[in-house]
Amino acid sequence: MKRRTFTTLTAGLSLVAGLYGTTALAADDMRIALVVKALGIGFFEAAAEGAQEAADELGGVEIIYTGPTDTTAEGQIEVLNSLIAQGVDAIAVSANDTDALVPTLKKAMQRGITVISWDSGVADEGRQVHLNPSSNALIGNMIIKLAADHLPDGGDVALLSATTTSTNQNIWMEEMNKVMGNYPGINVVSTVYGDDLADKSYREATGLMQSFPDLDAIIAPTSVGIVAAAQAVVDAGKVGEVNVTGLGLPSEMAGAIESGASQSFAIWNPIDLGYSATMIAHALASGKATAEPGAEISIGRVGTITLDETNSAAMADPFVYDASNIEQFKSIF
Amino acid sequence: MLKRFFTSREALLVGAIGLLLVLIASRFPAFVAPSNLANVFNDSAPLILLAIGQMIVILTKCIDLSVAANLALTGMVVAMINVAAPGLPIVVILLVAIGLGTVLGMINGVLVWKLSIPPIVVTLGTMTIFRGIIFVISDGKWVNSHEMSPAFKAFPRAELLGLPVLGWIAIIAVIGFSIVMTRTTLGRAFYAAGGNPHAATYAGINVGKTQFWAFTISGALAGLTGYLWVSRFAVSYVDIAGGFELDVVAACVIGGVSIMGGIGTVAGALLGALFLGIIKNALPVVDISPFWQLAISGSAIIIAVALNAQANRDKGRIILKRAEQAT
Amino acid sequence: MLKHAETSVPSGPATDAQSVLALRGITKTFPGVKALSEVALELIPGKVTALIGENGAGKSTVVKILTGIYQPDGGDILVDGAPTVFATPQAAADNGVTAIHQETVLFDELSVAENIFLGHAPRGAFGLIDRKAMRAAAREILDSIGAAIDPDHKLKDLGIASKHLVAIARALSIDARVVIMDEPTAALSHKEIEELYALVDTLKAQGKAILFISHKFDEIFRIADNFTVFRDGQLIGHGAIADVTEADLVRMMVGRDISQIFPKRASSLGDVVLRVTGYAHPTEFDDISFELRRGEILGFYGLVGAGRSEFMQALFGITRAMAGRVEIDGAPVKIGSAADAVSHGIVYVPEDRGKQGAILDLPIFQNVTLPSLGRISGKGFLKLAEEFKLAREYTERLDLRAASLDTPVGNLSGGNQQKVVIAKWLATQPKVIILDEPTKGVDIGSKAAVHEFMAELAARGLAVIMVSSEIPEVLGMSDRAIVMREGRMVAELPKAELAPETLVRHAAGI
Repeated sequence: MKRRTFTTLTAGLSLVAGLYGTTALAADDMRIALVVKALGIGFFEAAAEGAQEAADELGGVEIIYTGPTDTTAEGQIEVLNSLIAQGVDAIAVSANDTDALVPTLKKAMQRGITVISWDSGVADEGRQVHLNPSSNALIGNMIIKLAADHLPDGGDVALLSATTTSTNQNIWMEEMNKVMGNYPGINVVSTVYGDDLADKSYREATGLMQSFPDLDAIIAPTSVGIVAAAQAVVDAGKVGEVNVTGLGLPSEMAGAIESGASQSFAIWNPIDLGYSATMIAHALASGKATAEPGAEISIGRVGTITLDETNSAAMADPFVYDASNIEQFKSIF
Repeated sequence: MLKRFFTSREALLVGAIGLLLVLIASRFPAFVAPSNLANVFNDSAPLILLAIGQMIVILTKCIDLSVAANLALTGMVVAMINVAAPGLPIVVILLVAIGLGTVLGMINGVLVWKLSIPPIVVTLGTMTIFRGIIFVISDGKWVNSHEMSPAFKAFPRAELLGLPVLGWIAIIAVIGFSIVMTRTTLGRAFYAAGGNPHAATYAGINVGKTQFWAFTISGALAGLTGYLWVSRFAVSYVDIAGGFELDVVAACVIGGVSIMGGIGTVAGALLGALFLGIIKNALPVVDISPFWQLAISGSAIIIAVALNAQANRDKGRIILKRAEQAT
Repeated sequence: MLKHAETSVPSGPATDAQSVLALRGITKTFPGVKALSEVALELIPGKVTALIGENGAGKSTVVKILTGIYQPDGGDILVDGAPTVFATPQAAADNGVTAIHQETVLFDELSVAENIFLGHAPRGAFGLIDRKAMRAAAREILDSIGAAIDPDHKLKDLGIASKHLVAIARALSIDARVVIMDEPTAALSHKEIEELYALVDTLKAQGKAILFISHKFDEIFRIADNFTVFRDGQLIGHGAIADVTEADLVRMMVGRDISQIFPKRASSLGDVVLRVTGYAHPTEFDDISFELRRGEILGFYGLVGAGRSEFMQALFGITRAMAGRVEIDGAPVKIGSAADAVSHGIVYVPEDRGKQGAILDLPIFQNVTLPSLGRISGKGFLKLAEEFKLAREYTERLDLRAASLDTPVGNLSGGNQQKVVIAKWLATQPKVIILDEPTKGVDIGSKAAVHEFMAELAARGLAVIMVSSEIPEVLGMSDRAIVMREGRMVAELPKAELAPETLVRHAAGI
């Protein structure tokens, strides 16, 4: 109830903002909507920045940055419906649910709107192209590597995920399990779910430290979870004993690096991600590229991607942040 | 007097909590260690604070769905104040938090009192508005741990006799509001206004004004909790404590607060909040599949409420004179 | 004459082959409370049986057992002499038992015909409701009870008496053999009551057995054939109405003789304590002016809807008057809220004590002290010892018997709840007490107690305003009476001029 009302409100606001933008710009501007999991998350704000950079570079492109206020598929569907009603040229979405958005996105494609997914994907039939920030295999490897690098003699690690149903979290953990053989001595003792809520994630992290007194690291491939876990480690007085790592934003993790609760963490560059998603959407919508297996699409300064048999592509490797570079990045995103 | 306690809702809840602890201890003995119980109490403190406020609101036949949004807005405001003026003493931060929360609660109260809008409609509306305002003032951005001053984060964590200040605040609130509810005319008015608004009116109690004060208290507690929450988790963003209002209402219902108004105690709200808090803290350590955790939380709530309803069942009116004299 | 000594034996009335429905040795216990103890009851086709008893005697419990809402713990329900179990309300209905309750449950937004046939409407093709047949059947039933009501009207458009007729029609629509009427005349006007009597005669002629529950003896003697008396959950007596007098019934009900004589009072009027001048309201009353003296009982008589309660509520600050002034002890006061009124020494005991009187979940002492909190508190904090003392003092004065003042009022009997409400108002130490219909719906034993109490209040120097629609009460209690009609004072009569005809003439405007 609350979610619906508020989502409608923001969808309405962004609709108004979008229309206002249209009239202000030239009538034949291409309008590309960047739909995110939820507004107000630093990662997506940074992606929007990258999208704007691409728009400036391309010229004649207007970016509509929008999304629900919390991470629900229902909220995204409402936002998407209003975008379809506005008749945007392209939609680039980071999905809250693999399947729930498909009917709405299909409707968009039937109206001639270019649809791509990025970051968190939707099922093949719901989009033309999916841009992975990195390849799932590389991320899966990266998160365990982050923990293992600080455990030369091996040790016990636990996973703190978002919800049991979040698409990318589950894929990354699957990929991580595939490469566990490369990290002898590292045991994954438990997987818990913080539902991307600060209080629940904090409690789950605390519970992990109680259940496994010898725990060496908590891997949280989610930005809410990693921050909450770091705070839990500080409050439990286990800085130096338990290393919190995973995927997070430099601005949100700066405190954790400073306190020593986290040695290092990784994230792809969200600016590059928004930039690349916009480049791909523009290329497809303007007919410069077609979405078919094997197609090569230029993504400007980031390089070129090649679509695989499911029309998916990976952008680049995740980037590692630690005490040496956190100061430089914490003010960026 | 003793007999009455043992047949009361509160005693039933104490029993249920005891049983719960035994069950948890059988799977994870360390859970019932005194230091861990102190942690669990500390973790439940925000829920206790909000449940006390909600209990008072529900007593007057109203409901406050805006508490979590009030918490989030107040939390964001004090976090942003702290970022802007890191040197501001914590006392000022506390006063701002309580003051802003009070004002937000008063807005609910005035709309219910003066415009006679149903409370559920008012607070659904203000809930959305408060969240919207957070979005507007924060521009959707987070306030992160490293941006907050050390003093800002240290206050609720400071330990006194083994219990953090956060937990002590809950204890103070429980004692303070127990006194308000049982020893003041205002407390009596809350019970009267919800128990029978017509009779209360004839007794010279302004029911609308009483409801206004209930919302004001609920708002003040939500504001206080807003600072404590943001400080404890060292992060503030639009969605913090999302959906927490339902936990708060659930704690009240478990604690024997009647949704029809007029029945409820601070002790009940405390026990209801503790019951939920223990479950929330135990689930991560008792090694139950996360897929079952939600179902278990929900079942525990329903069982507690069912037990309550059983204890509260209409015993029928006493008709025979000798039976009445024996009561 | 009647032999009620032997009637309390469990077997109850001798089994009469012609009884359509009978209870035998019925016992019903609620946790800790025995509500009915081996009672018996017999209903005969074509006869009206009056069920008589004080409030709390167990009448409602019997009705609930007869209609399948409660299950008895012991004893038998005999339908045509055969033991039957009414496991559900539906089972009772299937056996032809139907009840018309004090507050009949009907649906305002549905039509008359829909209300009559809700749940058992005639079905047509595909199991859909056959509206035409339903309307025709409704018309037929309404005609049979002489009710000129259009079956297509929405129920909300009907008056209260017509709603009662619809309720009766609904009862008849399920082919009832036994009709239970629980205080059917409580809300009806004199003319409507006469119509109801005619209807009861019609039902009798149709061979229905009728159980008639009423507090009003004139009614009972007018239409009942038989009677059954309960007291404290036990069967006290039964027999033919023709064999008893009103005094006999009263004795059985209360277990003692009740004088119908009102308490003798030596009126000693003091100074004027309350003076009301030109009180007016845009729609409800106009130009009300009177004086009230210490020790005086001032009756307010009028038909229902004459504006008496509305005026009293304005005087008490619940609603706002448009014009007029109030003086207490000669000093003008402003009454903007009930709290103002209480602080100036005016209290109001409303007519609907269930809804407006006690707070059932709160203990006795908190109910008693509720309007007096200002006096037993300092700076918002209650002085519990003083509170308890105050509550103890006034409950004792009213002879309220309960083990503990901590007992929630909801656990008390109706009579004791009423005592709590009165104690509550006395504890404010008022100067003026307004009693709105103080004995409405009260059984005869309690009525005399209320009257005695009222006399005592006046003797202690309180000024009493008594709003009453009962002529004997107005005649018996008042030192003076004001008659209201259509929102205005039409007569102010000193005691010497009080006579039934005078009151009725002024009230009706004839």
